[in-house]
Amino acid sequence: MRSRLSWLYRLCGWLAALSLLATLLIIVLNILGRQFGFYLRGADSYAGYSIAAAAFLALAATLKNGDHIRVTLILQRLTGKGRRIMELWCLAAGALLSGYFSFFSWKMVWFSYVFHDISQGHDATPLWIPQIAMALGISALAIAFADDLIAALRDGSEEKTENRASASFVE
Amino acid sequence: MEQIFISIFLIVILFVILASGLWIGLTLLAVGLISMEIFMSRPVGDSMALTVWGYLSSWTLTALPLFIWMGEILFRGRMSEDLFRGLAPWLNRLPGRLLHVNIIGSAIFAAVSGSSAATCATIGKMTIPELRRRGYPEKMTIGTLAGAATLGFLIPPSIIMIVYGVAANVSIAQLFMGGVLPGILLASLFMGYVVIWSLLNPDQIPAAETGLSLWRKLYEARNLIPLVVLVLLVLGSIYTGFATATEAAALGVVGALIISRLQKTLTWDSFREGILAAARLYCMIALILAGSAFLTLSMGFIGLPRNLAAWIGGFGFSPLALIAVLTIFYLILGCFLDGISMVVLTMAVVLPTIEQAGIDLLWFGIFIVLVVEMAQITPPVGFNLFVLQGMTKHQIGFIARTAFPLFLLMIGAVLLIYFLPEIVTYLPSRMKGR
Repeated sequence: MRSRLSWLYRLCGWLAALSLLATLLIIVLNILGRQFGFYLRGADSYAGYSIAAAAFLALAATLKNGDHIRVTLILQRLTGKGRRIMELWCLAAGALLSGYFSFFSWKMVWFSYVFHDISQGHDATPLWIPQIAMALGISALAIAFADDLIAALRDGSEEKTENRASASFVE
Repeated sequence: MEQIFISIFLIVILFVILASGLWIGLTLLAVGLISMEIFMSRPVGDSMALTVWGYLSSWTLTALPLFIWMGEILFRGRMSEDLFRGLAPWLNRLPGRLLHVNIIGSAIFAAVSGSSAATCATIGKMTIPELRRRGYPEKMTIGTLAGAATLGFLIPPSIIMIVYGVAANVSIAQLFMGGVLPGILLASLFMGYVVIWSLLNPDQIPAAETGLSLWRKLYEARNLIPLVVLVLLVLGSIYTGFATATEAAALGVVGALIISRLQKTLTWDSFREGILAAARLYCMIALILAGSAFLTLSMGFIGLPRNLAAWIGGFGFSPLALIAVLTIFYLILGCFLDGISMVVLTMAVVLPTIEQAGIDLLWFGIFIVLVVEMAQITPPVGFNLFVLQGMTKHQIGFIARTAFPLFLLMIGAVLLIYFLPEIVTYLPSRMKGR
């Protein structure tokens, strides 16, 4: 079960990387199109969909890698039982929130499909298609939180993914 | 009255949940949910999904992941070695000698990198061991690096500017250009500090190395060519109006890929690691942006920004007093939060006040970048401090103390751009294709 789940997170991470690559290709094609006089209809919208897909699909892998940032000033100072309670609270709240969020993302996909919601841009894409990436990504995040929560409940005081502040090169 | 009470209640809730260690993006979503639940009867989950989708699938944000990716590619290349080799021979005569490599290297790398911590890690990778080996005083080596690396935000491209530009609806290309002169100004202030310090403490700086001939120096400078080409490609295409910020980011990624291919540092492994790391870093920011988009919506329902603007307007602050108050506010916030969270959390609330006071939003963006830079080096939470702690194994407190003089210089830079706003606005006003 565990290995199948981590396979899921990795797969989503890879799809996110592919979406990022797709964004690059769309924008480069758009620049080339302007220089050589061909027109890519709705390139802006497609680039928007693909960065959205990159962001949402990477959620679970980012969590597992310890890259999502949080304020750890208090957590770091806690030990033993206090620390365990706070960690459990964070994981439970995370699972609950992302579960709630994923439910409403699927609902949004469903409504876009039923009401034939179409992009306002030149691409006229039925919106439920790109929105699926969002629902999938957030669901994977919810599963990852639930997975961590169950693991934490099961094996007592042992700590998992340590937060690595230095990993955040982005700042 | 009731609204004020609810606003205070929400702010307290926000900080309690943040302090409890819940991930920042999720905290923002949670507080947004709580405040919407108080005011609306229908399920708020629907508007949450729609708001977040709309925000994260917008075209203006596309520049962000691409610049992050470009930084990841360059970090895995040999930019830091190139910079050191190209710059070091020229700085031997200047008081402070190779300490200036930290500052000029950071400033140049900042022109291809949108992030301060990435600049810190990339430059420090080379300068820390090299300067240590030559016997430079540790506190100067680390202090100048911690401070100068924050130029990663001020000198375009800049992740903070993209986030601010999207939040405040200011042109990202103009913000980028607005950061150029303040960035050069700040780098010069840092260099001036190193020169003065070295003149006062001449015995602490190691002797000059045997000078190279001019021809040899020029030959070494060839190492800088790839970086300079990349800077011209990215910033030049924006300045001349050839490309938007997003397109310049795409050109930058392609350029960085080609350069690392030519330098033989681009392998399938480094490509894969780079793109996966970029996706994760962007995702980390995107979760915070998602939370802030929803929180902004719900704050609007409560009328918090409007009330705050009216409240602060009631004091009749002069713009200078307002900026002073905001500087102190952001410095305190910066002790506990990272820059991006700081910007997205406060923008919705602060912008109406700024507009009411008649402060230019482009100028304010550069001001925000400067205070975020200070937040990078204020303990206990400052990302440059974390990066340097990882690289040098010194205590956070020690690193922060070494960077303190540069922190003061940044406050000086805020004052300078306040009294001479043209430092910010001159280049954007000259841009083509505005």
